[in-house]
Amino acid sequence: MDQVPRLGYGLGLRPVYYEEIFETSPPVDWFEIISENYMIPGGRPLAMLDRVRADYPIVMHGVSMSLASTDPLDFDYLEELKELARRVEPAWISDHLAWTGVHGLNLHDLLPIPLTREALDHVVERIGRVQDYLGRRLVVENASTYVAFAGAEMAEWEFVAEMAERADCLLLLDVNNVFVASVNHGFDPHAYIDAIPPRRVAQFHMAGHTDKGTHRIDTHDQPVCEEVWRLYERARRRCGDVAAMIERDDNFPPFSELLAELQRMRDIDASLAAQTPRSAA
Amino acid sequence: MKLGELQSAFQAAIIAGDETEAQVVNQIVPKEDESRETLFGVYVHAYLLRHGDYLEEDYPALRGYLGDRSFRSLIKAYVAAHPSRNRSARWFTTRLPDFLRESARWRANARAIGLAELERALTDAFDAADAPAEDIGALARRAPEEWPRLCFSFSPSLHVLQVAAGTLDAYAVATDETIDAKKKAIKPPADDRLEAVAVWRSNLELAYRGLEDDEHLALQEARAGKSFGDICQLVAFQKAEQPAEERLAQFLVNWFSEGMVSAVTVAD
Repeated sequence: MDQVPRLGYGLGLRPVYYEEIFETSPPVDWFEIISENYMIPGGRPLAMLDRVRADYPIVMHGVSMSLASTDPLDFDYLEELKELARRVEPAWISDHLAWTGVHGLNLHDLLPIPLTREALDHVVERIGRVQDYLGRRLVVENASTYVAFAGAEMAEWEFVAEMAERADCLLLLDVNNVFVASVNHGFDPHAYIDAIPPRRVAQFHMAGHTDKGTHRIDTHDQPVCEEVWRLYERARRRCGDVAAMIERDDNFPPFSELLAELQRMRDIDASLAAQTPRSAA
Repeated sequence: MKLGELQSAFQAAIIAGDETEAQVVNQIVPKEDESRETLFGVYVHAYLLRHGDYLEEDYPALRGYLGDRSFRSLIKAYVAAHPSRNRSARWFTTRLPDFLRESARWRANARAIGLAELERALTDAFDAADAPAEDIGALARRAPEEWPRLCFSFSPSLHVLQVAAGTLDAYAVATDETIDAKKKAIKPPADDRLEAVAVWRSNLELAYRGLEDDEHLALQEARAGKSFGDICQLVAFQKAEQPAEERLAQFLVNWFSEGMVSAVTVAD
């Protein structure tokens, strides 16, 4: 398997923070962009991206690949993605285990899939074709879901693990999404983390969500909650030194609050490292 | 249910705004503390909210002008008529001015259509292809005998619109945060007169301004590839009281200094 770069601690690149990033050169190891926001002809977004890229590694994270859709793969989209990748030279490209529409429509949402053999075969085949076209291994993220479909033939973590092995792709383990799905569908999030093949994991996502009482919604508009921080520790113990980042997409706090969340990540990792006995030389 | 059938039914119910659609709800695993309709409703309700957010972001002045209630009604109608076929939400909003013009409910509201066209042009200019602005020195470097044959290329971000008279004023009011929302919703009568507006991007910053009739004509002709000499003749026909070369030279200085021009060439 290709060596995955150990990028360290990152943040989602959002326009509201451009100026602060340029003025302060914050202690962030890398940034993740939403690919579609930069798949445009020109102007400020691409100019800002070029400036950030001059100083930081970038990861491209998409929301429209629609890997699980039964529509044909959109090769025009993939070509635009490839073109952006030529400009950005990202450490990797990721998208979601989800579908965004069928019959030529795009609902601009990450829609849930049934956990069936049919869906697994379908997704594995499409990831393979995407990887062939992009000429690189894809990183696939577990999405938050609010419904589970009847007739499931496996648990989500079994689906994800088998998908990664069969498609020979990498994984973006969204720790918050694991937690949100565990509450919404009543499973043990530890079982999920413990079933993920560590050597496949390229990246962690951490984010906040909204508690609606009976269910949680992945809103990215809150600080990371304590339960998710605890789950992060477990994921870190299992997967080791993979790149990790905070996603924030709404209710934007001062940049310093995001840096504080990154620092908490670093502190947790330092504490875990201190607990791990060194192997003999 | 096969994967394709499930996706078709799931999507159709979301677009219909129906979280009780039995074919879909029956496929959802029941949860002890919450109804299946509520859980499916997370997707159903987010659909309209999300698309409304895209439209609000791209058309803030139109929203200010129409008022929240009327704008929500417009969102609902537009989303129903034009579900997104775009990979990026960026392009989903772009047909709104055309929808207003084609819709029986809004087609008579020239002010709303004008605001929507102006805001679409601003969005399009924002991320249009890059082209470095040409310095006005490019003109000085041309020999006087070449001037009649000079042709101009413009920034890909430049849009020239003709919208209902008063649209620029209405835009200024609608985007002024110090003006009460209720006053923004007052609809000044829109007459049949039109005003020309240029929208472009200079040094990554958006710019727009109104154009007098002769400048509008000159700019349109210049964008169509007409030479300085040809445009002078047209402007002379429009406005006899000032020498056409002088008037057009003023326009050129403005176009260069404002970053609209990207290249100067000499026609064969």
